[in-house]
Amino acid sequence: MRGLTRRFGKLAVLEDVSFGLPEGRLAVVVGPNGSGKTTLLRCVVGADRPDEGEVLVRGRRCYETDPETRALLAAALDDIGFFPDLSVAEHLELVAYAHGGAGATVAEVIAELGLERARDQLPATLSSGQRRRLALASCFVRPRRLLVLDEPEQRLDARGREWLADRLLREKAEGTAVLMATHDAELAAAVADDRIEIGAAA
Amino acid sequence: MTTELDVRPGGRPDARRLRGWLRRTRRRHRTASLGDALGDAYVLLLFTGMYGWALISEVRDYLGSPSGRQGDPADRYWFGIAAALAVAGLAWRALRVVGPLVVAPAAQSWVVSSPVDRRGWLLPRFVALVVAATAGGGLFGLAAAVATGAGAAPDLAGATVAGAGCATVAVASAVVVQGSPDRAGRARLLDRCLLGAGAVVALAVVVAHLGGQPVPLPAVPLAWTLGLAAVPAAVVAVAAAYRALPSVDRASLAAGAEVADAAAGAALLLDPSFLTGLAESRRWRSRGVVSSRRFRPLGRSVVLVQAELWRTVRHPSALVVWAALLLTMYAVAVALPSSAGAAQVLLGFLAVGRLAGGLRAVGRSAGLRRSLGGGDVQLYLAHLVVPALSVLVWYAVTLPVVRPTVGVVDGVLALGTVAAAYRAGTRPTMGYGGATVNTPAGMIPVDLIRQVVRGPDVIGALILVQLFWG
Repeated sequence: MRGLTRRFGKLAVLEDVSFGLPEGRLAVVVGPNGSGKTTLLRCVVGADRPDEGEVLVRGRRCYETDPETRALLAAALDDIGFFPDLSVAEHLELVAYAHGGAGATVAEVIAELGLERARDQLPATLSSGQRRRLALASCFVRPRRLLVLDEPEQRLDARGREWLADRLLREKAEGTAVLMATHDAELAAAVADDRIEIGAAA
Repeated sequence: MTTELDVRPGGRPDARRLRGWLRRTRRRHRTASLGDALGDAYVLLLFTGMYGWALISEVRDYLGSPSGRQGDPADRYWFGIAAALAVAGLAWRALRVVGPLVVAPAAQSWVVSSPVDRRGWLLPRFVALVVAATAGGGLFGLAAAVATGAGAAPDLAGATVAGAGCATVAVASAVVVQGSPDRAGRARLLDRCLLGAGAVVALAVVVAHLGGQPVPLPAVPLAWTLGLAAVPAAVVAVAAAYRALPSVDRASLAAGAEVADAAAGAALLLDPSFLTGLAESRRWRSRGVVSSRRFRPLGRSVVLVQAELWRTVRHPSALVVWAALLLTMYAVAVALPSSAGAAQVLLGFLAVGRLAGGLRAVGRSAGLRRSLGGGDVQLYLAHLVVPALSVLVWYAVTLPVVRPTVGVVDGVLALGTVAAAYRAGTRPTMGYGGATVNTPAGMIPVDLIRQVVRGPDVIGALILVQLFWG
């Protein structure tokens, strides 16, 4: 990422943020509340437009409108929406199909995230923790080279957090670059290779 | 149980096939049938047609009646042009804010973020949007022509073609802008130019009228001229928009979906606070930061009034709208003198509403009232000072075009308008769990009706007072 700046009116939430993230490494974005962590991640995935700066993947400027970029980048931010009339399993199959897969990994990911009992449930019946797991699951049923997560530990119980740390280590081992915002110092210490500090108090 | 979609692992699925899979899968879990959907659409069309035609007939009858024909025809013609420019400017702004292409949050999260072909995914809604804009614009042009008294087939056809062509150009151009954020600045300038042009035309006609100068009618029929220019422009714009579809990014689709959701909520629940809350939040976010100032310690109520004044100064758009409504008032007084009194009350209520943001904020938030402390009545009265002053100014500057002398009725109208602003600003939070009443539009909660009429009820009474006493 090079020179990323995002302003709301005269308020500069992010000012000239630059960093690099090699394959197989995990960087945590840290900073106090309101420092722009979520805005930074939204700009990386293209859910928000930076006022200045660019995101480069393998040295090439990437645009959200490019299918190749979307094929590389998996993200679980906090703004995820659900189809009210699709079950948990159908949501994940949809993502798998949309990425050219055949849904072969869906059952495995559902089991890994402890969603077996909820596989046929509609989103309105899921707890906030189950919804969070479903959002995370959507990243693992598809191919990815860059994983972007916004406070993935939120609403996960102790076992869920252990699983998350383990999963992130496996992602790194498979060569996936991971960019993650977190307030969980224990998780960051367990998995992070780099720290990106943003915000005045950081 | 799900249906397998035949795709090659690692390949990119066709947008049409993925859409078909999604539609089939979702349909299996739905209880509403196609017949239900068609029935709802029929009822919606029936009521829109019935009430729309009734409105057009009433306007046509009024403009054709002796009291509606008092204004000069040339003045009225140019005010019509000014109104059309203002409507075009507002429509262009609305198109930019909404998208106009929108994808629901669920589809954004689960489909649009995938490598599925963007143009293929957006194409059906783009086609539907263009068809709706062409049909809607044509109907709007036809309705405007009928309402303003046109009867000859060429005039009606010209207005229809002009409406359809302009609406298509606007929607297609907005899609082009959506696909190229670099053009957003110029697009913003366009709606300001259209609104400014409308204001300049209206102001020129008002000044000419007050100065006793006649305004000439144009020599060429503008509707056909506009229509003939708009049709080829529409073809070019639609082709450009089709080419721009792959460049429409997720950020613009997400921003529009937020507005579309709020608008749908406001329309379904007849609660405009869904939309106004979002508009207010975006307005202040676009400002970002302000210079914090110290209050003058002149007592609790004065501090609250100071905060209200700073709010107005910090975002003067309320004052711009207030001035635009004042110009509209003068235009009505020139074009439809017999309606000037009613317009003074109605537009005055709308104008004061723009300056009653603080009253609405404390009115709808018990938490805010608790944190500010003191009694509710004291808080409401402190936040009513700025609206009340604006009402006084409104009646002072509009009186010359309504009545030759100041009378008791003006005091009643001014006080009544302040009371209406108070009632509208202190609406309690909507409750949907109470009794319902059967209306021609279906079952509606009583509390909803109470909410909608709270404020406008006083204005209705004031218009009657003005008619019989003014």
